[in-house]
Amino acid sequence: MKRLAVVLAVLGLALAGCFSGSGGDPAEGRLRVGLSFPPTSGLSPYGNEATLATRLGVTEPLVTLVGGTPIPALATAWTQIAPTAWRFVLRPGVTFHDGSPLTPDAVAGSLNRAAAATPVPRALASLAEAGLPVTARADGDGVVVTTPVPDPVLPQRLASPELVVLAPGAYADPTRPSPVRAGTGPFVLERVDGSAGATLAANPAYWRGPVAAPGVDARFLADGTARANALRAGELDVAEAIPVSQVPTITAPQQVVGVPLPRSVAVYLDQRSPVLADPGVRAAVRGAIAPIDVAGTIYEGRADAAAGLFGPATPWAAARPPHPVLPPATPAGQRIRLATYSDRAELPEIAAADADALRRAGFTVDVTVLESSAFEAQLGTGAFDAVIISRSQQLDTGDPVGYLASDFSCAGSYNQARYCDPATDALLAAAGQSTDVETRRRAALEVEGRVLAADAVVPHITERARVGVGGGLTGVAEDPNEQFLITHETRRG
Amino acid sequence: MSTARRFLPLVTGALAVLVLTVVVAALPWLWDEDPAASVLRVRYPERGIDPDALDALRAELDLPADPVTGALGWLGGALTGDLGTSWVSRAPVGPSVAGALGVSLTLALSAVVVAAVAALALLAPGVWRAARRGASDTGRGGAVVASVLGAVPEIVLGAVLVAVVAVGWGLLPSTGFAGPAHLVLPALALGLPAGGLLARMLSSAAESALAEGWVRTWRSWGTPPGTVALGVARRAVATASPQIALLVVGLLGSAVAVEQLFGIPGVGSAALDAVLAQDLPVAQAAVMLLVVLGLVLGAVGVLAHRALLGPARSGSELPAGVPLPSGHARSWAPWAAASALALVVLTGLPRDGATTERRLAPPSWSAPMGTDAVGRDLWARIAHGALLTVGTAVAVTAVCLVIGLLVGVGGRSARAGAADVVNALPPVVVGLVIAAVAGPGLLGAAIAVIAVGWVPLAVHARTLATEARASGYVRAAVLAGATPWRIARRHVLPAVVGPVTRHGLARVPHAALGIAALSFLGLGAAPDSPEWGAVLADSLAYVERAPWTILAPTVGLALLAVVVALVRESRASS
Repeated sequence: MKRLAVVLAVLGLALAGCFSGSGGDPAEGRLRVGLSFPPTSGLSPYGNEATLATRLGVTEPLVTLVGGTPIPALATAWTQIAPTAWRFVLRPGVTFHDGSPLTPDAVAGSLNRAAAATPVPRALASLAEAGLPVTARADGDGVVVTTPVPDPVLPQRLASPELVVLAPGAYADPTRPSPVRAGTGPFVLERVDGSAGATLAANPAYWRGPVAAPGVDARFLADGTARANALRAGELDVAEAIPVSQVPTITAPQQVVGVPLPRSVAVYLDQRSPVLADPGVRAAVRGAIAPIDVAGTIYEGRADAAAGLFGPATPWAAARPPHPVLPPATPAGQRIRLATYSDRAELPEIAAADADALRRAGFTVDVTVLESSAFEAQLGTGAFDAVIISRSQQLDTGDPVGYLASDFSCAGSYNQARYCDPATDALLAAAGQSTDVETRRRAALEVEGRVLAADAVVPHITERARVGVGGGLTGVAEDPNEQFLITHETRRG
Repeated sequence: MSTARRFLPLVTGALAVLVLTVVVAALPWLWDEDPAASVLRVRYPERGIDPDALDALRAELDLPADPVTGALGWLGGALTGDLGTSWVSRAPVGPSVAGALGVSLTLALSAVVVAAVAALALLAPGVWRAARRGASDTGRGGAVVASVLGAVPEIVLGAVLVAVVAVGWGLLPSTGFAGPAHLVLPALALGLPAGGLLARMLSSAAESALAEGWVRTWRSWGTPPGTVALGVARRAVATASPQIALLVVGLLGSAVAVEQLFGIPGVGSAALDAVLAQDLPVAQAAVMLLVVLGLVLGAVGVLAHRALLGPARSGSELPAGVPLPSGHARSWAPWAAASALALVVLTGLPRDGATTERRLAPPSWSAPMGTDAVGRDLWARIAHGALLTVGTAVAVTAVCLVIGLLVGVGGRSARAGAADVVNALPPVVVGLVIAAVAGPGLLGAAIAVIAVGWVPLAVHARTLATEARASGYVRAAVLAGATPWRIARRHVLPAVVGPVTRHGLARVPHAALGIAALSFLGLGAAPDSPEWGAVLADSLAYVERAPWTILAPTVGLALLAVVVALVRESRASS
């Protein structure tokens, strides 16, 4: 009997022992947000988590983008004072979460530190070839930002979540600034619990006006089905990235909002693969897989069928001119190694559908599905002939030329089709010099046409956001740039 | 000689730990990839690799020159209590991994409580009946239910529980780990299948116990059946206690899929994420803490075995394993299950399993089992995948059985050793390492399942061998001058082979499930392969919208379990 008592006591202790995190008390009106990726580096603005901080309403950039056009945020106005210099007038009366004022010196400091970060913020990468991409200095009630070469889209670049303004106290570790009590947004970041989540409180002195919700409890849930379940069970108010397979299970009062995103899902055909180096074979591949209705079947209508790389999130792309189409060769059982990654549940399904279509057309297909880091490690090594990738075209600036240069120029850093055409490179270089947004867009469409004509890429769809929103919740931002989500107007009931 | 033997398990255990540290430290080299590039990709996804950033990161991470240096450096730090700093989050590793381990321990212990209750409920009626009648057969009904329960994929059970209990009825929270209410559903999901396995294990031990002479003696004295049943239970639990310890340890690291479904920050997920991100300090710490805990719990299991056997073992007075009476009542269940399986496979083989636009179609005349998420006919997929699935599972189990018997009967000591080290490893981490060497695929998955799967059989064999060696006639054989080899072959092996084989058979569906668990991470069969694990992995997201997509492979596994559950080995004692 004694033994049993000991066993029970030990079990009791163990069971009472280790729990983590809090359930969140919905009665207080705090918002419960389910994140789709973990805040492992403390929501630092340098890197992937920069967007997380803007989406939770912690940090803010000088300007924000609406339909590709910059509008005032922490800066109220801007002018190009020289070919390589822009002056930004700062909003008066703004304070950081630690109580210190938003001064021109603080802004210049934040920008200069970001420009010196490694790797260079994505929005500034194309300026970085000539040394420091930007230098900023305080100038009266504003800051002057200079670039090494004339830059027509500098205000757009400064909308990047990586170029947000933090209080000077945030830079104790210059390689990883901490936005804890250092942002300007509607919510004060109080605590980051490793990769588990973050706790935020309303900013009592927010410059846009009173903040509706008293606070935010964000927690990371790796599994998309788990996020959907938590939303349906009323444990979350906002759930990021609901998988397509779970969308139909979410019914009123919960809903899934879907704005078109500048993100395409496409098959990249390796131009140097032994099989697909032949343009006729590439055309045959395109002929087999392009007719598949991926948007209607696998995405169940929650995506837009792709006419090209650019979709409804970039309305100007609808004016694309037709491009030439190569005649297909007849497949003779060539072996194609098709690969994708498992983090987005829809991609393996596309792989299955594509593989079957290719087999029907007369190819032999090996399908590989890897976890994304294992997949990325093998990208560009020639291990696969064709890869299915979901790729953002935003690069934080809304500038299509930068995206095309990184994905389809010979020296591009993310050129998965290993496409290299001097004429395309020349077009991209010329467009990069242009100050006129319309010219840049026309050049982008021309490059898109060349890439599609070469069958370097076969676009399947452009994605829509799938943000799960709980019943009675209002004021969630529907931002096609995915930079904002929780705002000062977000409230429950 | 005896001192050397006493320390042998310690030495093999320490050696296993050392090898393991080097293997984890060698992951970047196995992947043939710069760890700095991996960390860079995790920190800055979809960006490609910038050489300057790579150099900066290399300097920051202070990467070791080769795996052995890295492993020894890490071990040196670990021995002084410094587990290092995470390469990804830059936070100290110790507290976060220890916290995750605590979470997993809590979950595993609750799952074991569930498993024990389930096993008890399954076995109690049979043992009671047998004790009253004086039979040594605990009945078939319990065995069938136990086998089917043991063949239910944890993740499928978890998904159904969430959909019904948490989302449908709103009774319990669906995600998180903030209090005891969060524990119920994951513990059920993990514990019920484990309870099925445990019941199979205990029924084997209970039947051996029921056949022992003392039961007849007690009964002839007129001992009440309750007392006899308790005695049998104690005897069976004694035999199974190392297995129960193994179960706890196994649940610690292998619950990754369930942890993710319920959003539980456990150590299995931590180890997996760290290995994927090549965050070596975290991976090392997670694997090592699991192994140390595995060794401790393994030792506790052995001690419990001794304590429960009491003076019988030390006095070498344990009765010999008595051969089971042959000629059991024939059961129709395995034949029915085998026929059903064969019928489904044979009629399904001519069907076309290509993708169509009719996705997630419910069962109908044209597709009697429905279609999956890309419109493939599920009947065709189940039929095409049957041979592959069953064949792989049987082959994996056979290899596990041979290794388990060799190690279990060959090893002399009942103490914890290399087997406990291996058992504590999360199978997904083993799968990742093997995939790193051999590439992802069914063969790699099978090897990964074998690498961990022989351990329970070896421990079972070890326990039974210890008991057999403690019986009177083995002592007599020793006194008569029999060689150790002759004793092992003539006296120990016959007492061990039967129950361990039956245990192994009960694990055939488990082997298929192990491969399925790796399929969820893309480490199993190719995703468009009709292997049932891959079919399950493809369909899990649709458990609520299209239950038939899950039903077909799950029922297939359950039928397989029924078939193997009732294959009775004749315990030929030569």
